[in-house]
Amino acid sequence: MRLKLSIFIAKFSALLSKKLLRRTGETIAGRVLLALYPKAISELAKGKKIICVSGTNGKTSTTKALVSIISKLGSVATSPSGSNLERGVAAALMTKSDYAVLEVDELHLSRVIEEAKPKVVLLLNLTRDQLHRMHEVKRVADRWAKSASAAPETLFVGDIDDPFVALALNSAAQSQRISFGGSKHQDGAVCPSCGKYLKWIRNNYKCACGLSNSNPDETFESGSAAYKNATMANVVGKFFGAKPIAIDEKSLERSVDQIRKGVKANIRLTKNPASWTEALKSITGENAVLIVNAREVDGIDTSWLWDISFSGLSGKRIVVCGERALDIAYRLHVEGIEAEIASNFDDAMAKFESGADVHVLAAYTAFHELVNS
Amino acid sequence: MSQIKIVRIHNELLGTYGDQGNAEVLEFRAKFHGITANIVDVTYNDDLPTNGDIYLLGGAEDAAQLLSLEALQRGDNLNILHMAIERGAVILAVCAGFQIIGNRFVANGQEVDGLGLLDVTSVPGDKRFVGDIKTTSSVLGFELTGFENHMGRTILGPTAQAFGKVITGHGNGDSKYDGAVSGNIFGTYMHGPILARNPEFADLLLTRATGRKYAQITDPLALKYATWRRKVI
Repeated sequence: MRLKLSIFIAKFSALLSKKLLRRTGETIAGRVLLALYPKAISELAKGKKIICVSGTNGKTSTTKALVSIISKLGSVATSPSGSNLERGVAAALMTKSDYAVLEVDELHLSRVIEEAKPKVVLLLNLTRDQLHRMHEVKRVADRWAKSASAAPETLFVGDIDDPFVALALNSAAQSQRISFGGSKHQDGAVCPSCGKYLKWIRNNYKCACGLSNSNPDETFESGSAAYKNATMANVVGKFFGAKPIAIDEKSLERSVDQIRKGVKANIRLTKNPASWTEALKSITGENAVLIVNAREVDGIDTSWLWDISFSGLSGKRIVVCGERALDIAYRLHVEGIEAEIASNFDDAMAKFESGADVHVLAAYTAFHELVNS
Repeated sequence: MSQIKIVRIHNELLGTYGDQGNAEVLEFRAKFHGITANIVDVTYNDDLPTNGDIYLLGGAEDAAQLLSLEALQRGDNLNILHMAIERGAVILAVCAGFQIIGNRFVANGQEVDGLGLLDVTSVPGDKRFVGDIKTTSSVLGFELTGFENHMGRTILGPTAQAFGKVITGHGNGDSKYDGAVSGNIFGTYMHGPILARNPEFADLLLTRATGRKYAQITDPLALKYATWRRKVI
């Protein structure tokens, strides 16, 4: 079937989905398009300058930041928020534009690079996440490295303080290696390049095989994950000649303010040990609600809750809810923190006084339900 | 004994699947029994302590598993484990750790000799088993739940006994049995962590390690959690 006709049908199905099912329709369009025209991504990518953003954490907010940076240079198509599989990419590319900034799932990056032939790929970080699906961190890193070596026309930009990102950048013909002066890595005990025990001195690593964060092309001051991601987005923007944006960490964190049951909730997306650890640092107040689900996109196994230290919550008022509230309640219990268990989010919020400030850390599915409701 | 030493072996390498929580649960349950537990973290370059009461190994990716094996074969470490077993210490090894303490296993396509503490041999299968697992153990006398995420197929030799009979899931690969046990040495594919999901098993390990029988403790949340998981899996 011809591409134009396929796009027409895809857009029509999205419209139907919107009108009849009241869905956003964006992923439906991508799905239908790929079913009718499997080569759609490579066809639609032609003539567009494409940037892919991938990594365990920060993909969505970094993609948004990059869109705002690049939009000063020309029209920009982008993925529907959080839709980062091939269908999301296809949906984004249906829009006519000069540029496309695409958020891409770690495991799907190889195929998107192959088909869309991006000018730049930004690799943020790689840590343990959804192991029921990713299986092993190293497996994802090896795929990245393989696709980097197979894409000599593409510039790979990333944070080499993360050894897995460094491995991918080392495999690329063109790379921009960024360092923020080093940082610890939960999965950094083994060199992803040679398999030996990786030598760390404080926050920096150097392996006998040559993998190291000591030789970056560009160095920035250390900071929060949100700051690092925005800084790297600016580096990518600079490659296209765009002016850097001011870094506003608050707006880069995926958090939303809502008033629920008279309580002021700051809701933040948390989905794996690295993002929980980052989010826990932001809890400055006395009240927190933790929501844990274990659906496919949350990770169907909750063992990773034991990778996180919750000791910073000690002495605060903690309420837990979600489908796996008991998993988090018991994990906290063993760390000496007694949480109240609520049957749902509204019930959790009702436990606080009217006007109270509450930090909410929400699993992926819970976050989307709360933000879209 | 009012003090026990829990040795968490190579958490930096064998901590990918959350099994480090087993040490915390043991420490927590020990407190209920009036025992002071001391968790000792052993890293790749360290020697194993000779006076551990419970030695723990967790799940890992292949390269990390090989490094851990290498470190445990280094110097006096294996001898220390043999002596610990002699004096009745407990070993709990999960997933990659379970394979390490067996006779042979394959990692990164390489077939290697394990520590030979359990009479089992593991080979990779062609399908990865990912999902909830429930077993019933005649050794323990109760049901266990956990989460498995592995490609291992483990065959038991004559001196090892199966640890659990599979109700849901795949375990050693035949979907019949999970893990192996020999005396105070326990091997399993169950993450969760297994001792968080099954607090009675933590108590049993404490009993075995100290040689004392403890009165049943009251921890309603632990019981509620364990019971709920057994009901839904």
